[in-house]
Amino acid sequence: MASSHGNTNSEAAKVMEQIITEFYAKSLHIILESRTPYMSSRNFSGERTLSSPSSSSSSSSSVRPRDKWFNLALKECPAALENLDLFCSQGHFEPVVVDVIMVQRPLDCDLVKCSPKRDLTRNSSLKERYPYCWNYEQDEFGCDAKSEKIIERWVVQYENRKIRDTNSGSRRSSNNNLSTLYKKSMLLLRSLYVTVRLLPAYKVYRDLISSGQIWPFAITHRVSSFAENFTCREEAEMQRFGFTPVDTAGGRLCLSVLYCLSLSDVSSEPSTPMSSQLIPDYVGSPLTDPLKRFPSLPVTGTVAHAHPSSSPFSRRHSWSFDHYRASPPSVSFSPSPTYSEPHTLISNPGTRRFQPKTLPPHPPETSHVHKKDSTFDEYCPSPAVSPSQSSAAPSLPIFIPGSHPSKPLLQSESAPVSEPAAKLANFPAYSNKLNFPVRGTGSGSFKSCKTTGFSQPGTAVEKLFSFGKDEARQYSGVKSSSSSRSFPDDFDDTEFPCPFDVDDDDVTDPGSRPESFDKHVPLCEPHEFEGLFTIKKSQDAAVGALVQMLRKAPPLRQDHSNSVNLSQAGRPEIWSNCSQEPNRSSEGQASVQRAGSSSIVSSGLISSKTTADALRELQGYRDMKNSLIGKGSKPHI
Amino acid sequence: MNCEVCQLKELEVEHFEIREVLRCILHTIVFHRALGLVRPKDVDLELFEITYVQCGDIELEKKIDEKIEQFISWVEKHPNKKSQVCLSFFEEKNKQATWFTHKTERLYWEQWYINLNVAQHLKVHSGKSHNSKVVVDPGESALDERMARRAALEASLHEVLFQIIKFVNEKKDHVPPIPHTEGVVYFPHEITIPSSSDSAFGMDMIKRMLHTGHPTMLS
Repeated sequence: MASSHGNTNSEAAKVMEQIITEFYAKSLHIILESRTPYMSSRNFSGERTLSSPSSSSSSSSSVRPRDKWFNLALKECPAALENLDLFCSQGHFEPVVVDVIMVQRPLDCDLVKCSPKRDLTRNSSLKERYPYCWNYEQDEFGCDAKSEKIIERWVVQYENRKIRDTNSGSRRSSNNNLSTLYKKSMLLLRSLYVTVRLLPAYKVYRDLISSGQIWPFAITHRVSSFAENFTCREEAEMQRFGFTPVDTAGGRLCLSVLYCLSLSDVSSEPSTPMSSQLIPDYVGSPLTDPLKRFPSLPVTGTVAHAHPSSSPFSRRHSWSFDHYRASPPSVSFSPSPTYSEPHTLISNPGTRRFQPKTLPPHPPETSHVHKKDSTFDEYCPSPAVSPSQSSAAPSLPIFIPGSHPSKPLLQSESAPVSEPAAKLANFPAYSNKLNFPVRGTGSGSFKSCKTTGFSQPGTAVEKLFSFGKDEARQYSGVKSSSSSRSFPDDFDDTEFPCPFDVDDDDVTDPGSRPESFDKHVPLCEPHEFEGLFTIKKSQDAAVGALVQMLRKAPPLRQDHSNSVNLSQAGRPEIWSNCSQEPNRSSEGQASVQRAGSSSIVSSGLISSKTTADALRELQGYRDMKNSLIGKGSKPHI
Repeated sequence: MNCEVCQLKELEVEHFEIREVLRCILHTIVFHRALGLVRPKDVDLELFEITYVQCGDIELEKKIDEKIEQFISWVEKHPNKKSQVCLSFFEEKNKQATWFTHKTERLYWEQWYINLNVAQHLKVHSGKSHNSKVVVDPGESALDERMARRAALEASLHEVLFQIIKFVNEKKDHVPPIPHTEGVVYFPHEITIPSSSDSAFGMDMIKRMLHTGHPTMLS
């Protein structure tokens, strides 16, 4: 090629044309290969495109004709060659502009469509929702709304300078010119190859192609011969890197890139939001199992209102499993969200969850928790927890652990989701010179696996806290089985310092509770709860407390206003709402009585309920009580 | 032929980071000087969020690793020293053959100086350490500091890689013609580290220049 010895000008011109054409092709190939997940050379996972063994090793095996150009063998990337003729034809070279675009799905894309647990979606924060939006399923539903951001703009251009620069050219032989051109092009392309991997967008791309997570964004590209100008603001966020042009006899080959300096905020989103959600689900699941037994409790597939209670419960449990055991009555059983709330409040600032109706299921507050962790688990569960269909408060805890958490996990694990999407997506990058955004499905990567450990202290925090795939699986399995015990133990590990630490502190610190509680959950008082927790150590007492809690839960929600009014004594408030006739009858235990007494005091509130409701609840609670008592009595014996 | 010299920005590294840092830099440079047919191989650093590119040549990889190991052992013996690794590219030309000798002459056309400052106090593990230095406690409080330092090093390494790219882009004329020999991937080169004899680095370089190297490629 470059070495061809054509002496005539026409021959040299042809060769030069060919070199330039191939330079275009190779440049596009290099860029697109490292920006479009489908074409990824890194994406070895037994994918189709890379049929040739050439992919990995250098010197071996088959060499495709195009590999010889510039002595750079790349993986196949058909899109890079599509419509190349539109830009390079008969000695006329149009500039090629490649915009690398990060696309985010809008929140509006309902998770509902994607997953059976639609109700939950409501509550979930935007970030939480994102992941699902990217599911292949969703694409099918046609959630078109999305936000795009150009994160890179590559411009490959041949500047013709016949007009003025002709005299500047030296009188070298055409052969020399060509070989020099070829060599310099080669050097430029090698630089390009390295540079492409050093820019921020590459990290995003890498995240997308690595499996393990579903990301709320995708990268696509658009190839055209022109580009809209950036706004001043956009341009301010970008930096330009220009490769030194390669001179030719009649012009010069130019290559430059405008790129966003920081994409970290975008790319990190998926992991952060997810984390908070996970924790609650996790915790909840283990405890919830016992609750499931009770028929009385409404265990619908959907979580009612996404009562905050459920999530808090779970969380708390997860945190101090041992603790939990010691004092079973306090937390574990209260089917009523109210009780759990205090705990949750402690652990999570996102007390809002508990507010049944007024507040959205997914409090923004939780987000901060997420930031700490990029854990896979967290990520998954979130959607499940958030939205709740049924208004019945008690059902939540049970539900979440069992059904929802597991699902999300599964989804996340099934990084393969991205694959199908990729397959479906077309990459007619060049066609028509118009935009051909290719949507990639985001599959999360667990860099953490690689980087975790002290050896890599420098790595981002996310790495430290992220779970490995195996871990994720493990957890998912646990969730599905809803084995409460296993979970907490796992979490106790120092590996997950952030979330757990916080929770522990919260739990231990009564002081923190009141604040959060007051703000978000007027119905229950932390202090009360704490009192119960500490005072009653016998299992009987615990059972009694549980029963009471169960009873009270529904009324609390209904009598929201009332509860608020009773601000005087935190407990009385809580109990008052919940208190019912069954309370007295149910438990004879002294410790429990305490709580009961408080409830009695406020019994006047009960009136708000209809008799039918009361009877129904009573029935359910009795059943629960019996089962609890039976369970609690065993250990004593 | 003029010899272009590139002094890379000094990097402050910890002992255990030397290997990765040097690999990254050396391979990146050689990749730019591997004008034979290459099948690039992406390598993600473990310590940093950086991906660099190798030529995919196993022999080259071995050679670089060997040199790095030598350098590391030198560092262990010579703590508290700023050190330099030099990657030189050259052409070999036959000198006029005399009666009994067939000498080749190396014409250096490019030299890269990688400057490292190995932080001694953070020297860790590695069972090799002969003169185990007093390891200042990397206590709990030190964690943050280490992370910050690591981030800084990552940024610096990133800078160095761009320095290489810029240099390669700006200086192209001195690069010899592409080797046409079959199977030849990269230009002849050598990696020079401070000698174990503790002699001046420059002297060592001179000695090596006098040696007859193996004609790796490119005749």
